[in-house]
Amino acid sequence: MLWRTGLQACLGAIALTLCAPAIGETTDVAVKAAFLPRFARYVTWPAGATPKGGDPFVLCVIGSDPFGSMLDQAAASQVIDGRRIIVRRLDSAAGANVCQVAFVDGSRSEPAGQLIAALGHAPVLTVTDAANGGQRGIIHFAVVNGRVRFFIDQQAAAQRGLTISSRLLALALGVKQ
Amino acid sequence: MNARRFSPWMGWRSAPLAIFGIALLILIGGIGVIYQSNAIYARARVEQTQSFADILAASAAAAVDFDDRTAAQQAADAYRVNNQIRMIGIYDREGRLIAGYDRSGTPVPASIARISAAGENEIRVSSPITQAGQHIGIVYLDVDKDVRFRAIARYLVLFGMFLLAALVVATLGLAQTQLRRANRALEDRAEALAESNELLAEQMEERAKAEEQLRQSQKMQALGQLTGGIAHDFNNLLTVIQGSADMLCRPDLAEAKRIRFAQAIVQAATNAASLTSQLLAFARRQPLKPEQIDVNALIREMEDLIARTVGERIRVETELNAESSRIEVDRAQLQSAILNIASNARDAMPAGGVLTISTSSNVREDGTKMVEIGIADTGMGMDPETADRIFEPFFTTKVMGKGTGLGLSQVYGFASQSGGDVRVESNPGKGSKLTLVLPCVETEGAVADGPRVSVASDQPAASILVVEDNEEVGAFAETLLSELGHQVTRASSGEEALDLARARRFDVVLSDVVMPGMGGLKLAQILDREQPELPVVLATGYSQEITESGSGGRPVILKPYRLATLSEALASAMQGART
Repeated sequence: MLWRTGLQACLGAIALTLCAPAIGETTDVAVKAAFLPRFARYVTWPAGATPKGGDPFVLCVIGSDPFGSMLDQAAASQVIDGRRIIVRRLDSAAGANVCQVAFVDGSRSEPAGQLIAALGHAPVLTVTDAANGGQRGIIHFAVVNGRVRFFIDQQAAAQRGLTISSRLLALALGVKQ
Repeated sequence: MNARRFSPWMGWRSAPLAIFGIALLILIGGIGVIYQSNAIYARARVEQTQSFADILAASAAAAVDFDDRTAAQQAADAYRVNNQIRMIGIYDREGRLIAGYDRSGTPVPASIARISAAGENEIRVSSPITQAGQHIGIVYLDVDKDVRFRAIARYLVLFGMFLLAALVVATLGLAQTQLRRANRALEDRAEALAESNELLAEQMEERAKAEEQLRQSQKMQALGQLTGGIAHDFNNLLTVIQGSADMLCRPDLAEAKRIRFAQAIVQAATNAASLTSQLLAFARRQPLKPEQIDVNALIREMEDLIARTVGERIRVETELNAESSRIEVDRAQLQSAILNIASNARDAMPAGGVLTISTSSNVREDGTKMVEIGIADTGMGMDPETADRIFEPFFTTKVMGKGTGLGLSQVYGFASQSGGDVRVESNPGKGSKLTLVLPCVETEGAVADGPRVSVASDQPAASILVVEDNEEVGAFAETLLSELGHQVTRASSGEEALDLARARRFDVVLSDVVMPGMGGLKLAQILDREQPELPVVLATGYSQEITESGSGGRPVILKPYRLATLSEALASAMQGART
């Protein structure tokens, strides 16, 4: 549905100007890139899953990367409890155990669902995007009425030992208990 | 006195001052309380507003973080129910407005930079939006400083309380002042009372003193009058006696002249004796010889005598109405008293009139039956001052030499000594009435109807013991008795007489009553025991003892005695002893 809405919007935009869909898409991506480092502020990891000492938070992009430098800029501007946020780009789930947050976009070889499954019950806040298909992580981006919103799967979060702040839950389009 | 007046005055003045002071204190206290409560309220309000902002900052944190303006606006709109909140502005890290509203409808400043300074009537607080140590944005919140009507209500309540307190204090103060004033009035009154009481006591004391002085001076006056009166009368008599005695001493005096001078001396001495007798009667020391007398009969007997005394121009009437008219008094004294009153009545009626002698029965308060002998005239009467003084010895309204001033005092003395009284009623111009009131006797006794029969003067010579401490009187008695042919032995004291009586036998003893050492009465008692057959005749000028206790049945002769009296008494005594 969302995808179709996006398509319709894109088609409408094509009718007006060729560039319009591209600009809208770019803006949504930028918003998503801006959102990604901020989620960590509303999540509590189980003891031992948080970075040791002064180590920074690790934000991973597993599979394809739709954000590019936008994510790096967004991460650089955020601090979580005094820790910096660094971005790592991984091809597979291997080595994802260092990540606190992982945007799982999936790739041709490994779709998102597969990658998430590969993470097992690791205490990683998984983020997926509706634009990439139906596979959902704990947080699932969606664009509604031109605005970037998200769903939250508390059940999945609990499985990974994560607690999500009610303040974030209040913003969600929907919460899966 | 000054201090006393000063202090209530101070109290009177200081009471309103105190009330004013207390009211002022309450006012200051009220203002303080209002100020304090306002400050507390303002602080509480700031704190409350701050907590609103903090809560909003917390609840809107994620919305700001994720640029969810709808959620942020919802969070802000939740505060619209609180109508004290004027404006809410939620700004992001860059100071851009995320959400908010303004109660008045004016748009919320689009950026922090455009926010103007807080107004006078609003409280502005801000609360930073942070999440996990990261500064996300800021919340601005303006509220009304105070709800006006609540403030007014608070002021009104406080003002009411102040008024109430002031009223209470004023009432108390006023009551206190009134009480103090009443107290002061009472104190003043008590003081005035005490003062007037003191004054009264002083006046009473002074009056008592003055009365005492008056009594004393009256006593002295009376004494002077008495002494002067006695001296005057006696001088007159002594002039006659001395002159006559001088004449008698002249040689070659004719027999007729000698007898005349001697008689003049006898007359003067008789008058002197009557004078002293009246004095003693007034002093109530006249030895009385009471006997039972029928008053009505006595007055009938005396009618001629009275008529002769008062003269022809005065008619004498009698109204003898007393039923029981028997009294026991000294006959001679009663006659003398009636004649004294009658002669005074005569003197009160120089132009003539009616003298009424009346008797009536009466009963005294104690139940004693009394006979009243009234002697009334139709003369000039007396004023009350004179009526008060008529019984004083030597008080007289007559010209010098016309009266002794002793007549009515004899009446008074006699009446008192006889257990009765004398009353005076008089109206100037309408006459006077003197009433002798004397007690009746119930028992029938021998009623003497005239003077006793005198004993014959020729009697046998007797042996007589004369006891007299006064040499002259003793010598005189001896001369008299010797002249009568008696054998006289003299003793100058009771003791000596007793010795003589024991040693020798006498026919009769003539003894003076008042003597130093053993008196006549004591001697008589002892002799009665030792020699009951020996009669004793007592002689006295005046004797309190005999007046009080009587002579014990013994004959008493009064000094100055005359030859006839003495011989009669002695003869009678001896005759009694023989029978």
